[in-house]
Amino acid sequence: MSLSEEELRGLKPDKTVDARGTSCPGPLLAAKRAIADVPINGILEVLSSDPGTKRDLPLWAKKVGHEFLGTLEEPGYFRVFVRRKR
Amino acid sequence: MTDKMCITVATGSVDRLTGMAVLVSAAAAMDVEVEIFLQLWGVYAFKKDVINKNMNLIEFKELGPQVVEGMKRANIPPWFEMLKQAKEVGKVKIYACSAASKIWDVKLEDLEMVDEVMGAGEWLDKMKEAKINLFI
Repeated sequence: MSLSEEELRGLKPDKTVDARGTSCPGPLLAAKRAIADVPINGILEVLSSDPGTKRDLPLWAKKVGHEFLGTLEEPGYFRVFVRRKR
Repeated sequence: MTDKMCITVATGSVDRLTGMAVLVSAAAAMDVEVEIFLQLWGVYAFKKDVINKNMNLIEFKELGPQVVEGMKRANIPPWFEMLKQAKEVGKVKIYACSAASKIWDVKLEDLEMVDEVMGAGEWLDKMKEAKINLFI
């Protein structure tokens, strides 16, 4: 279940990974690496400027068993929030 | 069937290998197991003395410099770097066709990132178990 924009803006991520310099599938690999540093039920924020990421990261979260919380669009990049579930 | 992708790589062409490396990276991130079987030019492209010197393109050869420039601009690493990263984060195994290894007269230690030399029969068995099968 995706959170509202206001709720997303209020989140305090346990870790933020900046993958804005990379192209698809770089942000996916960055997310996979970074989630290991987030405690279970903690929040990972991924910054990406690759348009593929917007749909890739929610699918990734579902596939590997985490919870996709939502995406905020900023000028030129996305902020994607995922809660670690396992 | 397991959540596995099998890729038979008969090409040694950098454009194809780059496309392969993108899919392998995505699979590694998505917890999809990957197994790769190298045939003739695939084995050649993984040779330690070839892997980072290979500039062979199968399509639009004259656009080679533009491709290199575009990949730099998009910050896309060379295909073999992508593959190395995918091997670090996911389950990725690479096998060299035993016949092709004979053709190039190479042993496992002459090849980069290759885990085993394998026969076509065993590879067929692995393909039967995979949900995704690709030939490039």
